[in-house]
Amino acid sequence: MIAELGHFALILAFITSLVLATVPLIGVAKGNTAMIGLAVPASLVMAGGVFIAFAALIWAFLTSDFSVALVASHSHSAKPLIYKISGTWGNHEGSLLLWIVILVLFAAILALRGAAMPTVLKTRTLAVQGIVSAAFLAFSLFTSNPFARLANPPLDGNGLNPVLQDPGLALHPPTLYVGYVGLSMAFSFAVAGLLQGRIDQSWATHVRPWISAAWCALTAGIALGSWWAYYELGWGGWWFWDPVENASLMPWLAATALMHSISVVAARGAFKSWTILLAILAFSLSLVGTFIVRSGLLTSVHSFASDPARGVFILGILLFAIGIPLALFAWRGPALNSEAGDSPNVELVSREFGLLVNNFLLTAATIVVLIGTFYPLGLEVATGARITVGPPYFDATFNPIMAVLVVAMVFGPVLAWRRGMLPSARSVASTAALAAICVILWFFATGTGISVAGLAGLGLTAWIGGGVLMDIAQRTKITKGGFGGRVTSIPMPVWGMWCAHFGMVVFLAGAMANGLFAAEAVVRAKKGDVIELAGRRITFAGIEQRQGPNYITSTAILEMRENGRLISTMTPENRLYTAQRQTTTEAAIRPRLSGDDYAVLGDGDSEQGYTLRLYRKPLVSWIWGGAGLMVIGGMLAAVGRHRREPAKTVRTSKAVA
Amino acid sequence: MNGEDTKDKSVRGNLRLSFILPLVGFLVLAGFAAVALYSTILGTRNPAQLPSVLIGKAAPETPIPLLNDTAKSLDLAAFQGTPILVNFFASWCAPCRAEAPALALIAEYVPVIGITYKDKPTDARVFLTQYGDPFSAISVDRDGKLGFAWGVYGVPESYVLAGDGTVLWRHAGPIDRRVLEAELWPLLSSLSVAVPSGAADQ
Repeated sequence: MIAELGHFALILAFITSLVLATVPLIGVAKGNTAMIGLAVPASLVMAGGVFIAFAALIWAFLTSDFSVALVASHSHSAKPLIYKISGTWGNHEGSLLLWIVILVLFAAILALRGAAMPTVLKTRTLAVQGIVSAAFLAFSLFTSNPFARLANPPLDGNGLNPVLQDPGLALHPPTLYVGYVGLSMAFSFAVAGLLQGRIDQSWATHVRPWISAAWCALTAGIALGSWWAYYELGWGGWWFWDPVENASLMPWLAATALMHSISVVAARGAFKSWTILLAILAFSLSLVGTFIVRSGLLTSVHSFASDPARGVFILGILLFAIGIPLALFAWRGPALNSEAGDSPNVELVSREFGLLVNNFLLTAATIVVLIGTFYPLGLEVATGARITVGPPYFDATFNPIMAVLVVAMVFGPVLAWRRGMLPSARSVASTAALAAICVILWFFATGTGISVAGLAGLGLTAWIGGGVLMDIAQRTKITKGGFGGRVTSIPMPVWGMWCAHFGMVVFLAGAMANGLFAAEAVVRAKKGDVIELAGRRITFAGIEQRQGPNYITSTAILEMRENGRLISTMTPENRLYTAQRQTTTEAAIRPRLSGDDYAVLGDGDSEQGYTLRLYRKPLVSWIWGGAGLMVIGGMLAAVGRHRREPAKTVRTSKAVA
Repeated sequence: MNGEDTKDKSVRGNLRLSFILPLVGFLVLAGFAAVALYSTILGTRNPAQLPSVLIGKAAPETPIPLLNDTAKSLDLAAFQGTPILVNFFASWCAPCRAEAPALALIAEYVPVIGITYKDKPTDARVFLTQYGDPFSAISVDRDGKLGFAWGVYGVPESYVLAGDGTVLWRHAGPIDRRVLEAELWPLLSSLSVAVPSGAADQ
């Protein structure tokens, strides 16, 4: 009964979304106030319907209602409560519904909060959001109905995969989805802007918080996924250039470019059509990322089973959601730049030009990742060959682009709008250069055998680190003693920028240290053996069998000593889940700010010895710490701007295209 | 980038090439996907491999070091007289993990030579301890020299060489059951290698 209620609510939401997608747009075209006024209530009803449907699906998972096909194939009565709930979105149908939940949630927030927005812009944005929602609701209802019933419900469910019972996996997809779907708001604003034929600084002001929020969520989601892979997969790596990872990286790169280009629209009224294009591309890449790679339009190495009916629908949605806005862009885009008066020329030495360079590099990086991700899929379609290009390709293409971007990151913030440099530019650039040279010389003299690329990476980390810190010192006048008064007078978004850029420094330090100075040993050890690794003596004290709630483990006891002192007993496990006859590997990790010790138990027996993999990973947690700083920076920028906004938003636009 | 083109303020609503390019690029990609999807539904998507230009010729010899003894280099001539399978793999390659059991099975019938492609030797060793080592010899193609000479697309990729060193067969992508049964066992059997009689049961 509850499932039918959910199904009905979903159908109601679909019908409402069709109304939202059409009636208000007609109303704007005809100047009919009643039709325009429908946008807000329709958004709220649509959102309400989807929320009820999602709640009904969670209820079905919570109560283990195995007459619902989705629950029967993806849940089990013996699962812990939290994983019953997270199981709701651990499958295609449920994750699609979660996707729609976030989509309509954003529409509802805009409907309730956007009082200061020009009515026409708000109405059109909501309508576009309604169009996108209608497409996905149709996809859900017609090809991926989460509420389908089984005629003969099984006694118990099929979904007790222990690998999927993990807190990281419960949190990672929703966070990432908020990021993906958050970009839909930038998209809807962009299409609304194209429809009205002109965008202005007030447009930029209103869309900006959405871009910041989406970017923060995307950053956090990617970092969570990387952290999960690090501790759960037992490979000790944090990024694998896997198609699924790339699918989240591409919208992130585009969204990062968008974060920067929107500031030019807001401050100077330039880069308008480019920003519109970026907004469309960023959401398109989210769509491509979530749907093509995961549901196998082109069979990737990850998805052997694909449903052609779904594929046709996905392709249809993509054609519709990407093709029409791009056509609109081709038609209306040129007009956006020719607004009288506020489309200034860009000087070579100006903040605008710096941000142009930023956008060019980020776009190039996006394209490089796009090619690396889709070349194997394209080759498979063309020839049937299924291959991987992997890290060598990305090391050779992506890393150099990022290196140039990091060089530019020091210059960008010290350039002035319109023309010229801030007074602090010279000292910031020279501090950055000095830091880079010192670090390169230091490691050249002391570190043996670091490659040129490695030295360059270390130098770049110091370069951007020195640059950001000196920029902060100069502008807060720490060096001249007047710190206190200056700190509060600097706008919050500037602090946000520093924080995010410094996050990049921390991230790079972690990535470089981990890439260059990690130590590892793979050994076959018997009881009593001692392994030396990176100044630690690790004694293999034997194997213990232990009994868990629904598994048995083999646990290796590893005593780790530094300078003769016992600093930790590491206990990597191999778990055998008896009911499913499935084994999982649980790495033992001793995380510290200075670096992690990481141990994995392989197979073996007491006669032959056991395979042990031991790693010393310096500064590895800085990778995620850096991402965290970037998220905080993004939030500071959004919050600070929001507080200062009201004065700016008085200007309303009555232009009707 | 088009954002700063401001000299011509008279252009308003006119079509301009640079603004159409994104649409054209997208439509080309979408058309490509549509063709792929359509042929998948019709079941006509051709799974045949691109033929290698090396087929029927002697495999190029490029000296690359062995994994376990870097002083020596790989010598395919040492296997003269029996057919061999040469497999390019890498620790960073997900399909290579899926392929490992198939290679272990093949190694029971013919020598399998492994070549770690663009991979760190330490990572390759981790891979071997984790996914098994069916190889009669393993050598390290650190910068892809040998792969370039052989025309390797990516990893995994496998070649069958006849007893006299000529290339008979190339397969890009992991060797799965279909490839084993439809291509590899028949080929090896024609070279008078004893192959599993009930190959379908494997």
